[in-house]
Amino acid sequence: MAKYECIICGYIYDEVKGIPDSIIQPGTNWKELPSDFICPVCVATKSMFKKAGSSDENAEAEPAFSSHGDMREMSPLELSALCTNLARGCEKQYKFEESALFTELSEYFKSSAIPEENPDYDELMTLIDSDLNEAYPKAFDEAEKAGDRGAKRALVWSEKATKILKSILMRYEREGDKLLENTGVYVCSICGFVYIGNNLPEVCPICKVPNRKFDKIGAR
Amino acid sequence: MAERFAVRNISMCTKDCLCLYVCPTGATDTEDSIIDTDKCIGCGECAASCPSAAISMVNKVYPRQQDKEKSVIGALKSLIESKAKQENIAAGLGGTLGMAFEKSNRIMAEDIIREAGYMLPQSENTVRFLKSLLKAELPDDFPKDTVKKLLKLMKNKKK
Repeated sequence: MAKYECIICGYIYDEVKGIPDSIIQPGTNWKELPSDFICPVCVATKSMFKKAGSSDENAEAEPAFSSHGDMREMSPLELSALCTNLARGCEKQYKFEESALFTELSEYFKSSAIPEENPDYDELMTLIDSDLNEAYPKAFDEAEKAGDRGAKRALVWSEKATKILKSILMRYEREGDKLLENTGVYVCSICGFVYIGNNLPEVCPICKVPNRKFDKIGAR
Repeated sequence: MAERFAVRNISMCTKDCLCLYVCPTGATDTEDSIIDTDKCIGCGECAASCPSAAISMVNKVYPRQQDKEKSVIGALKSLIESKAKQENIAAGLGGTLGMAFEKSNRIMAEDIIREAGYMLPQSENTVRFLKSLLKAELPDDFPKDTVKKLLKLMKNKKK
């Protein structure tokens, strides 16, 4: 009997115990769990689990990417995100006037973005995969070399959030709109973790912020 | 003037009122529960005595932002670019899921940008960025005055 760990939130599935108070009986092997099994805490898909004690499945991914040394020209949405970040920074320092001005700039840039012509979920998946397979290993590598633990912190959080987005897309492909029936959709306002369900975890599985910092999508 | 000032988080305040006892200037005793920044001398007595940890001291001046390696910034930039693209696609998809993905990507981009040299709004990087907006060839409807106001506010705060 083995244990399997969710790489997003650290939940451990123990084959000996199964999942108490559920249909998954003690002694249920990992392989016997249905392919649509999801983490009972953060609802990540089964593919986001690794055997407890083994190394990360992505460890062998080859970073093959050339880096740009300088900040290049930024797209309108990058500029907008820069400004919302600075607005948040001002807000935390109780500089509300500055915060409002940065928000104004961010809205200008957001509205000047050219809408995507034929947006589809496959395109999202392609970008997510390229982030996970190329951009993250490369960025982790550079942060490690520079001893930049701040950058590593941001990378750990957003890589996990990106894996959650991948999880959700995989489930959406399988279940379609049923995935969203009678359920809330929440986004952690600190790290971008997305939760689909009605049993919000007490703290964010990724950044550990209390769940009052989650925003419900579509709520007014 | 003090280098710091006290701020009360009203959602955490349990009205123990020790801050009223220890404040040497009466800054914490106000009818609207907001600490009077004109009276506050930044001594920190209220924050230290508060049993519900509802008062924190906010800096007026911040240390210089940590330098970042160019190689790290370059690697982070690729991710920022990708998250912005994903935000745009998600915005086009719409619906609850699209909205969630749009928001999530924005939050990730913001956080990565923070680590790519834009942690502090009053840093040299931010000032340089704002100045570059004034020089850049942007459309006529770009709110240049907003940028000018920000630059002026930052200059005043620096002293």
